[in-house]
Amino acid sequence: MKILVIEDEDSLREVMVRSLEKERYRVEWAADYPAALWKINDYQYDCIVLDIMLPGGNGLSLLEELKNMRKRDSVIIVSAKDSIDDKVRGLDLGADDYLTKPFHLAELNARIKSIIRRKQQDGEMDLSYANITVYPDRHAVYIDGVELPLNRKEFALLYYFVANPERLLSKDTLAESVWGDYIDQADSFDFIYSQVKNLRKKLKTAGAQPEIKAVYGFGYKMINEE
Amino acid sequence: MKLNQYTLRNLLLPLLLIMAVWALGFYSLVLHEVNDETEDTLLNYKEIIIKHALADTTLLKDDVGLMNSYFIREIPAEQADLSKDVFFDATKYIEIERENEPIRVLRTHFLASNGKFYELTIEISTLEEEDLKETILWSILGLYLLLLAAILLVTHYVFRKSFRPLYSILDWLRSYHPTKPEPLLNATTIDEFNTLNEAFSQAAQRGAAIYNQQKQFVELASHELQTPLAVSMNKLELLSEDPDCTEAQLTEITDIRRTLRGLIKMNKSLLLLSRIENNQFPETQEVSLARIAEEVVADFAEVFAAREIRVYTMKESPLIRQMNESLAVTMITNLVKNAFVHNLNGGEIYLETTDRQLILSNTSENTELNRERLFQRFGKQSNRPDSTGLGLAVVKSIADLYGIEVSYNYNGKHQFALTFEL
Repeated sequence: MKILVIEDEDSLREVMVRSLEKERYRVEWAADYPAALWKINDYQYDCIVLDIMLPGGNGLSLLEELKNMRKRDSVIIVSAKDSIDDKVRGLDLGADDYLTKPFHLAELNARIKSIIRRKQQDGEMDLSYANITVYPDRHAVYIDGVELPLNRKEFALLYYFVANPERLLSKDTLAESVWGDYIDQADSFDFIYSQVKNLRKKLKTAGAQPEIKAVYGFGYKMINEE
Repeated sequence: MKLNQYTLRNLLLPLLLIMAVWALGFYSLVLHEVNDETEDTLLNYKEIIIKHALADTTLLKDDVGLMNSYFIREIPAEQADLSKDVFFDATKYIEIERENEPIRVLRTHFLASNGKFYELTIEISTLEEEDLKETILWSILGLYLLLLAAILLVTHYVFRKSFRPLYSILDWLRSYHPTKPEPLLNATTIDEFNTLNEAFSQAAQRGAAIYNQQKQFVELASHELQTPLAVSMNKLELLSEDPDCTEAQLTEITDIRRTLRGLIKMNKSLLLLSRIENNQFPETQEVSLARIAEEVVADFAEVFAAREIRVYTMKESPLIRQMNESLAVTMITNLVKNAFVHNLNGGEIYLETTDRQLILSNTSENTELNRERLFQRFGKQSNRPDSTGLGLAVVKSIADLYGIEVSYNYNGKHQFALTFEL
């Protein structure tokens, strides 16, 4: 899997590259418009992470270039601009997703994974970890092929774990993935504890191999010890 | 009081006085002149009578006419005073008219050619004079009122005409807002108003420029902060994933992340406020505020449950209005969150929707809040570290955009009401 990170901010690009490398992707990067144009011209990527505010040109015109080259690289736009116009224009020009800065690396990772998976399957998309398979499009979960009924929030939690297996997820990242931006009361993250506890119990009863482990007071990690 | 009314009132008093004095003066002058004229006639008459009497003593007898009469009476020499002419008013009974008519009388003494002294009394009817006086009085009174009315009317219209530019400036000022400065269209040939136009236009432009600069500054600052905030957050994320991280370090990281999240949240709210002010949410649709409120409350169910906060809902109406959906959700979420954050453990939240109101009440350990600061940016009245102080400012900003009235009341519970136009 090859990923191109186009981002002019050095430190942000560096953390994104490091985080993606940990997921065992082959990551390349470009820091400005000409470099990016040259890279997308010469190579094929599974996914391009594109900042739309670039020195030397607009990221949206890179999307147009891609379209003109008739390339089918998947693109995730990352932008400091949370403007609906940009979002709509980006998606119209063929971007697959739009992420507003600041974002969690786990979130970026989950989105990249979904996009790549969707492209590979060309149909209904699924993500699997050990004997758990989730179908994000219809909010369904299967353990060894048997459907496990979950409510909307439990599903959102599990999807996040499956998209980021073996990765330490903090409570706030998890809370945000389920309740969105609106959850910002630090002292209320304790309710995540009971949510995870419920989910854990359901997974165990259904015979799921992976386990959700608590890591101190920080967060949780999904691991498969079998 | 209107400037127009004020001017007319101030004009009316002195005018009433001056013109009254003028009318009185004029009237008495005319009267005096009329009297003078009568007396002159009497004196003339006297001269003629005496002249005739001196020439012919047979004429020393009374003469009674319709308009004037005279009576001659002999008097003892010691009573005679030749230098004296006495005028006085009297009345006389006229047989034909059967009533008393006013007369003017001249009484004088003279020495006839026969060496005897006589008293001459000349009477002249002043009936016409009375008529004249009456006519003059009424004319003056009529003229007085007419003139007064004319002056006031002309003043009123002249005033309106000359001060029209002032009223255009006032109208323009009333509708002025730095977000949408409209040019001041007020063409006039009057120098003072042109100066005023210029001064106001410049002040308005300066105001709009400062407002825009401020707005842009906040917007740019928040944009510029996005990337460093993202970098810090993401670096902490990578750091926490490091297997060598100890528990103590993870706890520290959690604390830093908590602070950072507050910053990110605050920055997002500032950006949202700028975007609302920049009108970047033009698309609207019919939304049911009651349904959104129910969904938000349902979304928070686990969060409420963790603090044993109970929610009571009373829905009278779906409360459907034309709004931007994401703004409607943000507005209600902020209010619900507010009711939750400042609540007691085991407290209560009441959600009530009528056909024009959405009311959220919550229990709290705080007493009544300061209304003035409540909806201001960073006007928070608690020291909670997890409160950005922007939530209610965002609510107010969205409400203002749609002409919704936000009010706060305290009746043992904190009550926030959104009142919509019917």
